[in-house]
Amino acid sequence: MTKKLFFVLALLLFASSMLCAQTPGGAAAESPFDLHPVAAGIAMAIASGLCGLGQGKAIASSVEGMGRNPGASAAIQTAMLIGLAFIESLALYTLLIVVLYIK
Amino acid sequence: MQESELWITRIFNDRFSSLGNAALQLVGIHPQARPWANYILMELVVFLFLALLFAFLRARLSVSAPGRLQQTCELFYGFVSGQAESQMGHASARYLSFFGTIFIFILVANMIGLVPVFESPTKYAPVTLGCAMATFIYYNLMGIWTHGFKYILQFMGPKWWLAILMFPVEIVSHLARPLSLTIRLYANMFAGEQVTLVFISLTYLAVPVVFMGLHLFVGLVQAFIFMLLTISYVAGSVSHGH
Repeated sequence: MTKKLFFVLALLLFASSMLCAQTPGGAAAESPFDLHPVAAGIAMAIASGLCGLGQGKAIASSVEGMGRNPGASAAIQTAMLIGLAFIESLALYTLLIVVLYIK
Repeated sequence: MQESELWITRIFNDRFSSLGNAALQLVGIHPQARPWANYILMELVVFLFLALLFAFLRARLSVSAPGRLQQTCELFYGFVSGQAESQMGHASARYLSFFGTIFIFILVANMIGLVPVFESPTKYAPVTLGCAMATFIYYNLMGIWTHGFKYILQFMGPKWWLAILMFPVEIVSHLARPLSLTIRLYANMFAGEQVTLVFISLTYLAVPVVFMGLHLFVGLVQAFIFMLLTISYVAGSVSHGH
């Protein structure tokens, strides 16, 4: 099932370049729909979603560690906050790109 | 490029614009109409605040009967020194002044944005770039100071025949460090302010305070992360493990 899905997605990826090549001359500027906000929204949504997954995993394992060893809570909490800050900054890099390139 | 001026920037641009233009001409920038930028003056305000605070502290230092300010600053010192010692061991005492300065400066610069008439200078990329370049130059200088010109051997990797592969990889990863430091701090502060502004425009009362509280927490964490990474980079460059 996963292999079939992967195959369909790969086919769509390769076909899309042929489909879009039928309108040379840059349809992006003359499209009636301004697609810049759509791109910004999709980029930010993907970044925030994956960042949320990563942070969820980090918090889950740190809370489980605190449950197993309550005496180490301070050290685990410090490490968890550091890890969360790093993962958060990855989503913020995407926000920076969105702000820089979307007028 | 700045949208609006703070009251302090307006005063400086009205009265002292010739001073600002003279300073800009030292680095070759042409004179402009209103040379003082918000972040330059906010950095100077942070610097003056810290200088006055520590001058005040210095006058009241006492071993036998420490006052509240001294005890608070000893808490900060213990925190920074504990972090440095856990990563570097006893060699950290030489570099502790830089770590403490970076931490306190970025912390106060982040926090000053919450005060109504001021704004965080770290919300602007040039300021965070300056902090990141200071860290970059510092850890390389400390590496060269400790190891001499054998510092370049650290980029070569563990075996001599790996050097031709390791050298570009190490250069790129070392150059990525100030980039990531800059963007992490800048994006966090900028995003915090933008989110607060969005919620001020959506709901006028009470809800933006939650985001200002989040911004306070994020500012603290980002200052700590910057200091932690600085310690980690200096530890990596002065270590004798290679």
